[in-house]
Amino acid sequence: MKLNRLGFLRAFVAGAVVPLFYPLLGRLGAQTRRGRKLLRPPGAQPEADFLQNCIACGQCANVCPNKCITLVGLEAGIEHLGTPKIDARAQACILCMACTQVCPTQALEKLEPTEEGKRAVKMGLAFVSEDHCYSYAGRTCGVCYRACPLPGEAMTLGVYETPIVHPDHCVGCGLCEQACVQMPQAIRIVPQADQTRIDALLERRRKLKPPASPWKQGAKWDDPPNR
Amino acid sequence: MRAGRTLLVVSILTRTGVVLLLCFLALLTNYHNLKRSYNSPRLVELSEGKAMRVFYEKTDALFSRFGDPAVEAQKSGGMTWSIRLGGIPFTDPIAALSVLVKSRHWELGFALGLLIPLSLALLFGRVFCAYICPASLLFFAISRLRLLLAKFFWFPEWSLHRGFCWGILAGGLATALWIGHGVWTLVLPYFALGQTLFHGIAYGAISFSLGSLVVFGLLDLVMGKQFTCRYICPTGRLLGAIGRKSVFALERDADECIEACTSCIDVCPMKVQPKFDETRDCSMCGECLTICPTKCLSIGLRKASAAQPETSAP
Repeated sequence: MKLNRLGFLRAFVAGAVVPLFYPLLGRLGAQTRRGRKLLRPPGAQPEADFLQNCIACGQCANVCPNKCITLVGLEAGIEHLGTPKIDARAQACILCMACTQVCPTQALEKLEPTEEGKRAVKMGLAFVSEDHCYSYAGRTCGVCYRACPLPGEAMTLGVYETPIVHPDHCVGCGLCEQACVQMPQAIRIVPQADQTRIDALLERRRKLKPPASPWKQGAKWDDPPNR
Repeated sequence: MRAGRTLLVVSILTRTGVVLLLCFLALLTNYHNLKRSYNSPRLVELSEGKAMRVFYEKTDALFSRFGDPAVEAQKSGGMTWSIRLGGIPFTDPIAALSVLVKSRHWELGFALGLLIPLSLALLFGRVFCAYICPASLLFFAISRLRLLLAKFFWFPEWSLHRGFCWGILAGGLATALWIGHGVWTLVLPYFALGQTLFHGIAYGAISFSLGSLVVFGLLDLVMGKQFTCRYICPTGRLLGAIGRKSVFALERDADECIEACTSCIDVCPMKVQPKFDETRDCSMCGECLTICPTKCLSIGLRKASAAQPETSAP
């Protein structure tokens, strides 16, 4: 009996060590994307809570009618393995809230597919790169504004359809990023998980002067823009 | 003998059914997409081809029986880890433990999902392993392959102590607590299989969990018959422990049993010893019923322990 107990203990310790090696497997993933934060489906709790509750069951990806939710592989490390992510440039979220209805552990909090539910989403924040944007270069575009699910609130248009994102109302669905005609995209979603980057970008935006119209006051239609 | 054969066939059929169900659920992602974007078989055929049209029409017809197909279809989904079928949730006990350890909190629906798996284990013991687990179908096939190859090669039969499974369970929970629940995708064979199927069918991508499955398969081939089920899978061990006193169990008629015969012990994939009435991890696969020369084994209500009837009826 004593021998058996020793055997159990030995086997137990040997077994317990095995899963602890799995994090090493995560190191095999591509290192370049390790630091990149992931855009989570709507209703996702703050990243730490989300990872605590998400059991990687894949039901959100299963139910998504837009096929925008995909499951993470090893590219972001083993802690994210099997968790849902959205690649907004490839396929953005249409805020149908089907995933929040089926999540068994409330890692995605329940939201209703109504206007209020839509506004309660906080997946990330869109940032416009004025250097890339067609409209800021003086060519009227406005595609992102037409894609926005909350036009006039989350995004308004300046002169010549230059997009202006309002951080308090932007839900971060990524439809603008998906729609952007520029390559690479001139408008990008920074995931909510990447709070430091959001803060840095907001701070930079605050320091910059509000972008002036690229056109001189009273310009003619064929005048070149200022920059 | 007849009963054993039947059980074997039933177990293969049900597990194949589970694999097909997983494939169907993975395809359901495409159905949601097509329903939302086209909602017309003709358009589906034009954009996705004839095969997809057939799938779309059949799925539509299936869910239309219950009501609005778009709504009904969303009531099913997931993998063996956590699955909803027609709105009924099923939760893996390991998932429940993992969540309990990490966030110390269960959602109601999540906890209710435990009811059916746990009552199955309490009623029949480890039947999950022989009748539901899709990975065990793979391991069953590998064990048959082993039998075939055993004519030409010699295969070792390693054994480990039970503690190894408990160790993996504890280590897995510790890892889940440390980094996240994602580690189970690689530790549990059926979850790895579910992930592989889902990634393959829904996204056309090769999942990393396939590597994990290959490792388990090789272990089974090289180390012993159904090695993963017996010594690695913590779910099987947990269900075996829960169903230790299950209502239904493998019973032996001691009068009929031949003293010198150990065929039931030799054939058992779970290394259970029906001859000595040691049926702790029995998954009721029926292999021993088939091989028993005197048909002294049967599955039925577990007999009360020998001392009990005397004391209760004075």
